[in-house]
Amino acid sequence: MLRTLVWLAFVLIFLLSPFIGAVNLDITKIVQGDSLSHTLFFELRLPRVLFAFLAGAILALSGMLFQTLFRNPLMTPYTLGISSGAVLGAGIAIKLGLATLFFGVASVSLFGFLGAFLTVLLLIYLSQFLHTAYNSSLLLLGIALSLFYTSALMIVFYLGSSIQNDMLIRFTMGSLSIIGWEHPILLGGVLFVLLGSILLYKYELQLMSISDTSAQLKGVNTKNTTLLLLLVSSLAIGVLVSISGPIGFVGLIVPHMVLKLYPVTIEKRILITALFGGFFLVFCDTLTRVLQTQSELPIGIVTALVGGPFFIYLIVKGSEK
Amino acid sequence: MISLEKVSCAYKEKSILENISLQIESHISILGENGAGKSTFAKLLCHLQAYKGEIHIDGKNLEQFSLLDLAKTIAYVPAKLEIYDTSISVEEFVLLGRFAYKERFFAYSKEDRKKVQEVLERLHLEHLSGVSMGTLSSGQTQLVLIAQALAQESKIIIFDEPTANLDPKNSKIIGMYIKQLQEKYQIILITHDLHLARFINAPVLFVQDKGIRLEEDFFKSTKLSELYGVDFEDLAVVYA
Repeated sequence: MLRTLVWLAFVLIFLLSPFIGAVNLDITKIVQGDSLSHTLFFELRLPRVLFAFLAGAILALSGMLFQTLFRNPLMTPYTLGISSGAVLGAGIAIKLGLATLFFGVASVSLFGFLGAFLTVLLLIYLSQFLHTAYNSSLLLLGIALSLFYTSALMIVFYLGSSIQNDMLIRFTMGSLSIIGWEHPILLGGVLFVLLGSILLYKYELQLMSISDTSAQLKGVNTKNTTLLLLLVSSLAIGVLVSISGPIGFVGLIVPHMVLKLYPVTIEKRILITALFGGFFLVFCDTLTRVLQTQSELPIGIVTALVGGPFFIYLIVKGSEK
Repeated sequence: MISLEKVSCAYKEKSILENISLQIESHISILGENGAGKSTFAKLLCHLQAYKGEIHIDGKNLEQFSLLDLAKTIAYVPAKLEIYDTSISVEEFVLLGRFAYKERFFAYSKEDRKKVQEVLERLHLEHLSGVSMGTLSSGQTQLVLIAQALAQESKIIIFDEPTANLDPKNSKIIGMYIKQLQEKYQIILITHDLHLARFINAPVLFVQDKGIRLEEDFFKSTKLSELYGVDFEDLAVVYA
């Protein structure tokens, strides 16, 4: 019953979302090719809703993946510092004023991706030295990295011009404001690769969701599987963050919400998590437009406001005796 | 047949087992004090532990086994279930034992699922098949772990303290099953449970002072007193 209600609400919001915003659309004119409503609807609203959906799916899947691979409910690309790495990379690109394209990829995106990718490599390298309580130590490493990146970003701020800093501040708040179809199409490709990899390795993941040793004893090459899925996922996160900025908490809370609604093995939760994440971010994005005053609220702030209390709840509940 | 030749291994630079050479041809029980290295020995055979020397299983060097081949050769039943995602059902959990037989990137086959049903019936667990792993009792969990090992259809099954968390009734049930399994599988039993070891009635390997040796007349109270360094005389009635 609860499930049906949640999905119904989600679909309803998804369908209404393109019609909500600062400018009221004239519904009768949307189909007229030369009207403002037509342009707003097809070049701004619709791509944005789709973009939000794809971004939510990528964030939720990555969160689910990290939580499963490390068997820790607090592990996400965000908490491990991978998103922060992407932000720093993108920040450096903005500071350097690199607006040019490398092989057709915007330099901000490229640097964002590199930031995420290098962070993953750094985490993998550092994790070799961890012995005791592997996963919680890794989480601490991620938090330390996040703090380090934040300080490094402060230096970029310090050196930046006010125009660059304004861009950077907006960027760090996260935004789903995009124009046209280029970004949704790129993100669609990224989601396809991410979802495809996860589905391909779903039985390995299912075994690894029990324990690492158990998976090895059944014949899973856990090292290679972890490495491959981490790389694909950090690629996805890197691309996403370089476009939208960091959007926290979706990767953390959506997998837990899905597990509450569908307490079944991970193999059966993959597609549900992707859908739920997509709808959830569309919901949050719609909120930013409903709640707007002079300008709309940055999406990162809305997801953090929803996710922060949930995060605290998880920590408290997790350490309950 | 499992053969070890001059095998040594360490954990965090602390030597656990040194220069072990032995051959295991049939069922075996492994006993020894806490921390003596029993579980390390089990890990050695499952290739979860780095070592020096050589280990062969049926003439093949352990280093040459792929992970999948090893899973088809040795199954390991842990003392306690370590599980992160407890939402998985008993049936799905047992099905994981079939991973090594599954075609890569494809779903488990009908035969795999049939095998799982057979195993569940054999251990009288059919009524639990849809139940999630998180809700089982210790006794049920141990049975499900055995079911998973059976689904794995390996020749060798290692039991690592199977009765450590169980009451006498469930210990007895597990003991009966292990005894039955001796007919078809090579059983390596690691335990502190003298009742169980005696019931299983396999030759005893005793782990002590970084070495492993075969002990004759292990269950004599004088022998037990000697090995464990405490007086077992007053238990003479039980271990006569």
